[in-house]
Amino acid sequence: MKNKSKNISAKLMEAAPVAGLVILLGIFLAIAAAKNVNIPYSFKNIVNQSIITMIVATGAIYIYTLGAFDISLGASMCVSALVGAMAYNATQSVVVMLLVCVGCAVLISLTSSVLASVFNLPVFVTTIAMLSLLNALSLVLIRVNGTGDVIQVPAMAVMKLNTVWFKLLVMAAFTALCVLTFNYMKLGRQQKFTGGNPLCAKLSGLNAKKLSIIGFMMAGLGVGLGAFLTITYAPTLSRNTASSVGMDVIISIVFGGMPVSGGARSKIHAAIVGALSMTLLSQIMLMLNLDSGISQMIKAVIFLAVVYVSMFSSRKTILPR
Amino acid sequence: MKSFRKFFVLCLSFVMMLTLTACSSGGGSADADPTQKTVKIGVLVSDTTSAEALSFRSYYEKYIQSVYNVEFMYSDELTDAAAEQSAIDNFIANNCQAIISFASSDRPAQIEKCEQEGVYYAVATGTLTDDQYEQFKSYSHYVGAIGPDLAAEYQAGYDMAKHFLDQGYTKFGMFTGASVYFTEMHIYRAAGMLAAMCEAGKGDYSGATGYDIVGKIMADGGNVSTGKIGSVEVNGVVSGYDFDDAWFGKLAAVANDPNVDVLLAVGSGQTAFAGFKPEGKMLGDIDCYTADSVALMESGTLNYLAGKFSASIGPIFAATLSAVYGKPVRTAEGNALALSQGYWIATDAEMAKKYFEVDSSTTNPAYTKEKLDTLIGASYDDFAKFVAAYSFEEIQK
Repeated sequence: MKNKSKNISAKLMEAAPVAGLVILLGIFLAIAAAKNVNIPYSFKNIVNQSIITMIVATGAIYIYTLGAFDISLGASMCVSALVGAMAYNATQSVVVMLLVCVGCAVLISLTSSVLASVFNLPVFVTTIAMLSLLNALSLVLIRVNGTGDVIQVPAMAVMKLNTVWFKLLVMAAFTALCVLTFNYMKLGRQQKFTGGNPLCAKLSGLNAKKLSIIGFMMAGLGVGLGAFLTITYAPTLSRNTASSVGMDVIISIVFGGMPVSGGARSKIHAAIVGALSMTLLSQIMLMLNLDSGISQMIKAVIFLAVVYVSMFSSRKTILPR
Repeated sequence: MKSFRKFFVLCLSFVMMLTLTACSSGGGSADADPTQKTVKIGVLVSDTTSAEALSFRSYYEKYIQSVYNVEFMYSDELTDAAAEQSAIDNFIANNCQAIISFASSDRPAQIEKCEQEGVYYAVATGTLTDDQYEQFKSYSHYVGAIGPDLAAEYQAGYDMAKHFLDQGYTKFGMFTGASVYFTEMHIYRAAGMLAAMCEAGKGDYSGATGYDIVGKIMADGGNVSTGKIGSVEVNGVVSGYDFDDAWFGKLAAVANDPNVDVLLAVGSGQTAFAGFKPEGKMLGDIDCYTADSVALMESGTLNYLAGKFSASIGPIFAATLSAVYGKPVRTAEGNALALSQGYWIATDAEMAKKYFEVDSSTTNPAYTKEKLDTLIGASYDDFAKFVAAYSFEEIQK
């Protein structure tokens, strides 16, 4: 009886992020209707504002599952977008731009993980170094391009791709790949095992370095797609492009109910649920016309509450299954 | 499993209940008189914490919102073009009829978006480039731009340096702020300072004089170099906004350099230099009027201030409201506004105090409702005349 009750409680805790999203949606709809807000337009906004975070965070799940942490995702996306834009301006080809964005982001990610492997450093340390390096690189790229403080792709060139349906298509394709490899292939299981208990995983014959490199490659793919969609949405790029993405990804993953320590309780859908919840919360604050500082404080309180609930649900005497 | 399902059913019921409750309370009737209906105006901001940004916001929220039937909706701090697009989308979803922009990552994209969505758009405290104005001047929803144009920024830098050069100072240290991030406003101010030094020192800055200095700084990646300009010397330059120990160390070194007599800042000079400046040296800054800047002038720490006044954003508000009311202010050819506005310059504490008293008032600011009402539906010429008379004395008349 006691076990059954514990089981129900665990399931409720697991469903809490999705339930939170549903409640936020309800509050959003209620306030929107009361304030006569343009709801269809708002939904378009929610997709536009959350989809890039969703894609990058979904890719980043592979890193977080290993118990690692990449602080340079935003800077990597900025550099990838800048290089992609330069490639478009040189070739006038959107396909080349996409390939360059993805290639550049994957290369940056691989560099971080390979450096960590070669020097036997925690991945987090190498991503801090990469953050500084990439921030400097973005300034160099802008200077080399010689068009003031920005690099631009003509709006007309990407206008046709700046639709909700195209973004959803990219998102669906990437999520499908991630769900397949994470939930239905041994890669996901190995990653969860390594993240949950690295020593045990090592003794079982798993190669943590190889898993780390694959994880970073998947994250790079997400960053590259995010960079491409950023160009289609706002084709004027500066050193500040995607500056908030790194933090948004962390918040989304936590909001989505994934433990920051990674391991067996990692789940791909956490990124999507978290990013949508964050965007809905921002929209609610905006509709209430709250001061930016107050909004930030409310978000911080909710963030802490989510982390507390997440930790509470994971305080078990047995290993998660 | 059953409990799990029940939980979801409960959540969904909650959503439906809230939605239905809200739908039943929504709605309202349109009024024939446009002034009777609250006009929602979105404000795009790229800075939410500086004294200047706060004083602008205070003027709109504490004064304008209390005397006009308007509601301002502010964006978060916008750092890139994508954030600007998202903020505009948010304003449109929330039924804003107009947008006033203080954010400049991608102004053409902002204007295009607003034109496409049928929302009035205006630029505050800045202007478009000549090419941009030519492109957008005939857009029906582009209200226009009022603020210091790049020529005014150049002039502000020139006047500040000249003020000290005229007093016989020849050894300078400079803070060039965001010039290394290619921020044009700061590059033009720095170029103006160097141009004044070229004139006074009868020399050149790396082969350039006058407006050519702008191109030289751009070509050097936004960096200003130290060296002799004829008989004038620039003996220390700090740029960027790193706010780390190394950055503060550089500022302290320049401020205390015995070969520097005057410190000139393109902005944030009070943050950059005031804390390190030894007695006897001069400090000039281009910023805004705050209680702190007045106190610094009173203590002799700050010796020259070219400041924007918070009510300077009043005329662009009036032009925007006029457009929403169906009385857009356009040139004889039907084009949007493009008017330049300069700074209030204080060279002593008394002046700064006088300016600040007016500038910080939330009941009787420089541009009151009485004055702004004359701009609603005004002709272009009257509007231009009003904006051109921006000096403290002219406004107080």
